[in-house]
Formats: sequence, structure tokens, C-alpha cells
Amino acid sequence: MQILLLILSILIYLFFGKIGFIYLLFSCISSFILSKYLNGRHKKLALIMSITLTLILYLFFKFINFFDFKNIFVPLGISYYTLQIFSYLIDLYKGKIKREKNFFRYLLYVIYFPYIFIGPITKYQDIKEDFDHCKKFHKENFSLGIPRIVWGLFKKIVIANRMWIIINTITNNSYVGSYVLLACLLYSILLYCDFSGGIDIVLGISKIFGINLKENFNLPFKSESVKEFWNRWHISLGTWLRDYIYIPLGGNRCSKIRQKINVILTFLVSGFWHGTTYIFWGLLNGILVAFSSKLKTKYKILNQIITYVLISLLWVFFIYQNSFIKPFTMLISIFTTFNYLDLFKNIPNLGLDILNYIVLIISILTLFYYDYHKDKINQKFKTSKIEFKTFAICLLVIIILIFGVYGFGFEVKDFIYSKF
Amino acid sequence: MKYIKCIIIIGVFILIFFFINHLLMPKYSETLREGSLTREYYKEDKNHEVIFLGDCEVYANFSPMVLYEKAGITSYVRGNSQQLINQSYYILKETLKYEIPKVVVFNVNSMRYGEDEKNEAYNRLLIDNMKWSKEKIDLINSSMTEGETFLSYVFPILRYHSRFSKLTSEDFKYFLKPKQNSFNGFLITKKIKPYTSLPPKKVLANYNFSDYSYEYLNKITELCQKNNIELILIKAPSLYPYWYNEYDNQIRQYALENNLDYYNLFEEKDVIGIDYQLDTYDGGLHLNLSGATKLSEYFAKILKDNYNLTDYRTDKKISSIYNEKLKEYNKLIKE
Repeated sequence: MQILLLILSILIYLFFGKIGFIYLLFSCISSFILSKYLNGRHKKLALIMSITLTLILYLFFKFINFFDFKNIFVPLGISYYTLQIFSYLIDLYKGKIKREKNFFRYLLYVIYFPYIFIGPITKYQDIKEDFDHCKKFHKENFSLGIPRIVWGLFKKIVIANRMWIIINTITNNSYVGSYVLLACLLYSILLYCDFSGGIDIVLGISKIFGINLKENFNLPFKSESVKEFWNRWHISLGTWLRDYIYIPLGGNRCSKIRQKINVILTFLVSGFWHGTTYIFWGLLNGILVAFSSKLKTKYKILNQIITYVLISLLWVFFIYQNSFIKPFTMLISIFTTFNYLDLFKNIPNLGLDILNYIVLIISILTLFYYDYHKDKINQKFKTSKIEFKTFAICLLVIIILIFGVYGFGFEVKDFIYSKF
Repeated sequence: MKYIKCIIIIGVFILIFFFINHLLMPKYSETLREGSLTREYYKEDKNHEVIFLGDCEVYANFSPMVLYEKAGITSYVRGNSQQLINQSYYILKETLKYEIPKVVVFNVNSMRYGEDEKNEAYNRLLIDNMKWSKEKIDLINSSMTEGETFLSYVFPILRYHSRFSKLTSEDFKYFLKPKQNSFNGFLITKKIKPYTSLPPKKVLANYNFSDYSYEYLNKITELCQKNNIELILIKAPSLYPYWYNEYDNQIRQYALENNLDYYNLFEEKDVIGIDYQLDTYDGGLHLNLSGATKLSEYFAKILKDNYNLTDYRTDKKISSIYNEKLKEYNKLIKE
């Protein structure tokens, strides 16, 4: 099975990435060779060298992006596999894991096709055992993996792509003020559906092969503070940043001011990981997390609303991602241009007709109902008859085919997080 | 047993899928009538001696009913909106699977368009209702624009799913039985919109037809020769888009080299008697019923006098079919 997964992963990467494979291979080979010395006498030097080699490539491509050389190619998944290689090297250096002696198994850990494009960022020790144990297909894994994939497609194609139409209408027409506020508030749900939908597909595919990846989201909109939000959103990146940036910086075992600086620095790294134009997004999130306790009220629902609005406002850096200045001017316009009545009148002209709005609202309600009752529903589904499972999957497929936003005439967005 | 139940459930959903697939497809019955042209050919008795090929300049301008009424000629117009030359070739190939006509009349307007004029909307009008065959597969592959997928022709729901919010009574009314719009491929338009003015004639950088156009014209010529079919090249009498002298000269040269007849009917407009104040429905681009009748009467004479065609008005079986159609036709034009 591991051979099959490796061949599949290489073929899929070559299909999408082509020459990017050379860079990936270079990072894998160099880190694999140097990993031999990570428990010897010169382990510190070996760690610095191995991380530097991978980091140089990573920074090179990130800076190319910064200088906006649009035609220069960036290896696919570089942001994800670089973090995975780092985590492997650092954990090996710290003696938390044993060195992988088989290069191909190491390569599989780095290039494993479900997560290479979108995550979740996975630690070697979290997947090693599953790789060892996946020897054949089990029908139980199929019956759990397939619905997860279809559900992910529903979130992406029916909800996220439909919301893109509204966001695109707002950005393409250079709307300001209340329209930007609406775009930000919607973008929270859009990004959630897009990203978590992609992760559902990744986890579903992995499940079919008998590999259990960790969840990347845990009811983020339930958060009562920005700090809590980041514990529930993109969990794998948050965990990575905590373990390899925040804690080495001193974590919370230092003065309160230093703690806050550590948080802000960690979020700056997160911003940079997303791209150079996201640095302010990281910085502002860091500040909000560092001072999140000051923003809390006595009321749970009010805290949730405040968190949702604050997080949403900062997505402005994602919506207007190609500029340093525009996100700020757009944010300012929310508080300076009071065109709420105009927005209200113009809602039917934001790219969706009434039936599409109805589909969108029903889909979002269904999504949140499922999310908030996930354990119960999943348990029921797991124990239900195969006939019911077949019926539910077929129904969802038909719903996606009819109500999905895809195909000719639509600017179908790739998964947002596949671009980082 | 539970697996049999699952297969039944999947089967039911496949049926639902095809039902919805059909429901969401445009019916081309009351709106976009041009989309019905491909479909209507299959219902016909395939015994035509003349087949017209080309774009809107054939299905709007030539009436097979008039050809029959005036000269007893059995004909069919296999025209489509913006039928490009590669598409004409595959349509001809498909037609020859059903019947071998004596004469193929090809409107050369599409020679001006090369490969770049491919258009998704026109592709759909032509291909959506075409029967599956090797010709259809080749036609799709040679017609697809960037962003189109072959799969969306196999499963039109992939293209038309967004129509769920735009369904009208037409989609339900013609779900089972779509409306017959044409008479042997001729679409009647009675409206009059006189010619007033046209855009200025542009000077083009290059008047030469592309290699692509010649490649397919050669293919059409060879296919006709192989099947002993007389190929006639024509240019319909449209005021616009301009048919430049340079275009005309190239076609004349081609006809000469390949021993083909070429009729520039625009040059004959006065002999035909076309009055662009009365005989056009869009200011001179296409002829209306009155103009098409005049043109068809004129062309019927050319066909009768020069191409050894049978007068089927004395054939009992065929005349009964055509007389029935003529009755309908005359009723409609009098309405």
C-alpha cells in the first residue's frame, strides 16, 4: 500500500507540479542525508544546515512572490512540505522521534498526495504508524471516507463557490463602505467552507487508505475570543507555530510583556507563511490574540459576535490580497462611507438571484446544524444501514450536481489554501 | 440482499440524474429555436437529393418547401447558427451515414472564420441535440473552446445545472416532446426590419482565408467526390458581414481549380428581386420569409436546369409527404 501511495503521490504531484518536483526532491534528499547526523556529535550544525538548505529555497520563492515576478514559478505545496520537513528535523534533533531510515518512506511522508496541496500540516510521529499499518483496503474505511469527501465537495462547490460570486461582484466593482463589511463577514464563512471543505476531502481520501489525519477545524465560530478562534481554526498550523516558534521563543514561561511579544512574533511568522502581503494580517491578529482577554464581556453570545466581526474584518487582507495598501483603505472605508441603505437596495444585484440566495442560506444553515451536532450525526451515520448510507451519499451528489457553482462560465476558484 | 438494495438505490438515483439532466437542458422550442435544427433532422425521412450546409445564411434563406413546390426537389438544410467550416464537414459526414444526396450546397461564408471564431454558445446550439456517433465525438473535439470539457457534452447537467433558477414553463411543456420549428431545416421568420445603414467597411490587414479553412474545404470537396456528390459553392445574399472581393476571388479560384460551380447570389440580388426594405428581418443580415421565398424560387431554377435532379411531385409516396408539409407550411405563412 505504501508503494501505491508513493507512486500515486509522485504522479499526482508531477501532473500538477512538474518541475516543482525537482525542488521538492532536493529538499527531501538534503534533509534526509543531513538527518543522519541529527543525533551525533555535530547535531546542532546538522540541524542548522538542513533547515537552512530547505529554508533558502522556501524564502527564495516567497521573496519572488514579494517582488511580484508573476511569471516565475513556485513549487506546489512548498509552504506545507517545508513545515513538515522542519518539524521532522526538529523533532529528530530533540530526540522525540526515531530517524526514518528508508528514504522512500520519508519521501512519502513529505509528498503524501492528500495533504501536500492544502494540509493539514502533519507531524511525522502522527502519521508514521498509519503508514505502517495501511496494508489493504477496508470497506469500513470506504463508508467513512466517501461521505466525508462528498461533504467537503458540498461545502466547497455549493457554498464557497456561490459566495465567491458575491465577493467578486463587490471587489470587481470597487464597492466600498458597507459592501466591504459585507464581503468581510461573508468571507469568514466562505473561507471556512473552502478550507475546511478541502480538508474534509483530504481526510476522506486518507480515510479510504486507512490513514487517519488530525482534524484541522473545531467549531471556530463558537469562539469567544480571537485567541480561542486560533485554537479552533487551522489547528495544524497553529500547533506547528506553537511547537516550533512560540515555545522556543519562551512561550508563556516568561514575563507578561515578553509573552505578548512572543504571540505577536508567532503571528508575524504565520502572516509571512501566508505570503508577504499578509504580514499586517499576522501582526494585527497577533495583537488581537495578545490582548484578547481585554475584549471579553460577560455575555457569551456577545463575545462570539465580537470575535466573529474582528476575525472577519481582518480577512480584508485575504480579499484584497495583492496589495499592501488596499486592505487598509478598504477597512477605513467601512467606518467612513455610510452606504448601508445603498447596500440594502443593491443586494439583488450582487450576482445571485433569489433562488440562489435561498440555496445559499439553506446550505449554510445545514452546514452549521451539522457542525454543531457532528458527533451525534456521525455516530448515527456510522451505525446506520448501508442502504441509508448509499441513499444519503447519492442525494448529496445530486444536490451538488444541481446546486453547485462550477463549470463553464464560472470562474471556479481553486482551494484558497492551495495557493499558500 | 442489502447490496442488491444499494444497487437499486443507485439505479433510482441514476434515473433521477438523467431526468434532471434532461429537465435542465434548454428545450430549444420557443426560445433559441435555432437549437432545434440539429435534432429535427433525425425525424426526417432521409431521401433528399439536395443538402444545404452552412450557417444562419442557409437556414434563414433557403426554403426546401419552395424548392419542392417550384421544381419538385427534395432537400434539407443542415444549417446551424455560426456553423463553422470544421462543423460543416462533420455534419456532412454524419449526413452521409443516413443518405447520399446528389448535390451538396455549401455556403462559403464560414471560410472567413478560422479556428479562432469558436464559440461555446454556438457549439451548444449545434451539438446539444446531436445523436452520438464518431462524427459527434470528432465534432466536439474540433469545436471545443478553452474552458469547455468533453464531459459536459456527455452530461449536459455539468453545463446547465445553473439553469435550476431559470427554468420556465417551456422546460416542462416540452420536456417529453420538443416543438418542431423548421420545415426541412428552414426557419421561418416573417418579421420585417428594413435595411437602414451598416457599419463602415473596414480595410482588413489580411484577406486570405486561413489554412484551417482551406483544410476543411478540401475535406468537404474530397468527401463529396468520394461519394459522387456534386458540390456547389454559394454565397448567400447578405448585406453584412461584408463579403469582400478578395474573398470572392479566392473562392472563384478554388472553384476553378476543383471544377466546382460557385454562385455569388449577392451579385444576383437584383435578378432575384430582393428588396432589402421588405425582404430582411434584421436590416440586411438575413432574409425573412418573403426574401427566402424569392431566393429559393431563383435557386430552384438553377438546380433544376443544371443538375440532373428528379422532380418528385409525380412520386406518389414522396409527394404525399411533401404535400402534407406544404399544407402546414402554407397555413403557417398565412397566419
